[in-house]
Amino acid sequence: MLIYDIWFLFIYMFSVGNLIFVSKNKHLLVVLLSLEFIVLSIFFFFLVLLMFIDYDMYMLMVFLVFSVCEGSLGLSILVSMIRSHGNDYFQSFSML
Amino acid sequence: MLTNNNSNKMFFLFILFFSTLISISSNSWFGCWIGLEINLLSFIPLISNSKNLLSVETSLKYFLTQSLASINFLFMILIKFSLLKNFNMNNIISIMMNSSLLMKMGSAPFHFWFPNIVEGLSWMNNFMLMTWQKISPMILLSYYFNKNFLIFMIIMNLIIGSLGGLNQTSLRKLLAFSSINNLGWMIFSIMISENLWLFYFLIYSMMIFMMISLFFLMNMYFMNQLFINNMNFFIKLNLLINFLSLGGLPPFMGFMPKWIIINFLLINKFYFLTFIFMMTSLIIIYYYIRIIYSSFMFNYFKMKWVNLLMKNNMSLINLSSFISISSMILSTFIFM
Repeated sequence: MLIYDIWFLFIYMFSVGNLIFVSKNKHLLVVLLSLEFIVLSIFFFFLVLLMFIDYDMYMLMVFLVFSVCEGSLGLSILVSMIRSHGNDYFQSFSML
Repeated sequence: MLTNNNSNKMFFLFILFFSTLISISSNSWFGCWIGLEINLLSFIPLISNSKNLLSVETSLKYFLTQSLASINFLFMILIKFSLLKNFNMNNIISIMMNSSLLMKMGSAPFHFWFPNIVEGLSWMNNFMLMTWQKISPMILLSYYFNKNFLIFMIIMNLIIGSLGGLNQTSLRKLLAFSSINNLGWMIFSIMISENLWLFYFLIYSMMIFMMISLFFLMNMYFMNQLFINNMNFFIKLNLLINFLSLGGLPPFMGFMPKWIIINFLLINKFYFLTFIFMMTSLIIIYYYIRIIYSSFMFNYFKMKWVNLLMKNNMSLINLSSFISISSMILSTFIFM
């Protein structure tokens, strides 16, 4: 590991993604987008890490598959929410 | 899920069971993350099976918290991998990894989603959430835990689990806070030995199964349903036995694992922690006894539409009461 400054970029991207996830938004889609942004930052981090193991990128693909599954699950829950509530505003959460 | 039949549930249940096995038996931390992801992917279809507002909101909250926790867990795994810190267990990385696993479990201070979601699920889904979903994070916790951080989390778990259930009228939320309290005991038993954790977990899931099956058969979700309808006396007695066993009173089954943990605590001079364990158990037993006392003493309305199943077939009730009362004494015959 010759260059250590790139970690600041990864930690910054990850922190910004988390910050938007926990912020008060009007739509649910913003939260799901922030989740995808965190996944993107981890993808970049993983790529840089795996470059030091002589380009064995198989794990990166496995990670990508699972993250895409998770993202699509989030979208399906969004669709189910729109079918029952009519919108994806956070103000319509009042049952629990 | 337009047509919700049993084969759907069986498929997702199979994958749920398999995901825990993947997670706990993997060679690397990345395999653990994969198991946690498959766990989330297969549990969401089990809980979002109808199109009413409550079910959608429940599955949404569950998805958001669990996905955040697992993605944080993966980031900390990568940081650990890049810094090559594999053997030092008392640093910030282990704190972050433990925090994300605690968020997966619903332990304090990340517990705020847990009573909400338990309120929105049916009893069988609650049983899955309270017992099976906790196996994988707890075993992962035992692989890389930070002792000081976990002791602080245990104290918070105990206090929040006992004080949070004082003002509840919904049975599901009551069991949720009781589950948070028992998580404190279980995390401490992980730090003692994994065998003890397994023992505590098996007895806890057996007790929860008895209670949840009773509530499921009677179709009871709130506390006022306990003393409004015309329950048989043996059902109320079984409820008393199961609640006291869950609280940890001596002749019943639930006392045995707590006894072993307190034995360890006192031998190793953890006096302050023993005090907190005892006092929070007292608060929990207080609000269990409050429920049962009302259920035994109050006058009831004689409703016409009573669940006749319980009046005809009492063998399950009698068997579960027998197991709860006698298993502590019978277990001493096994370990001769």
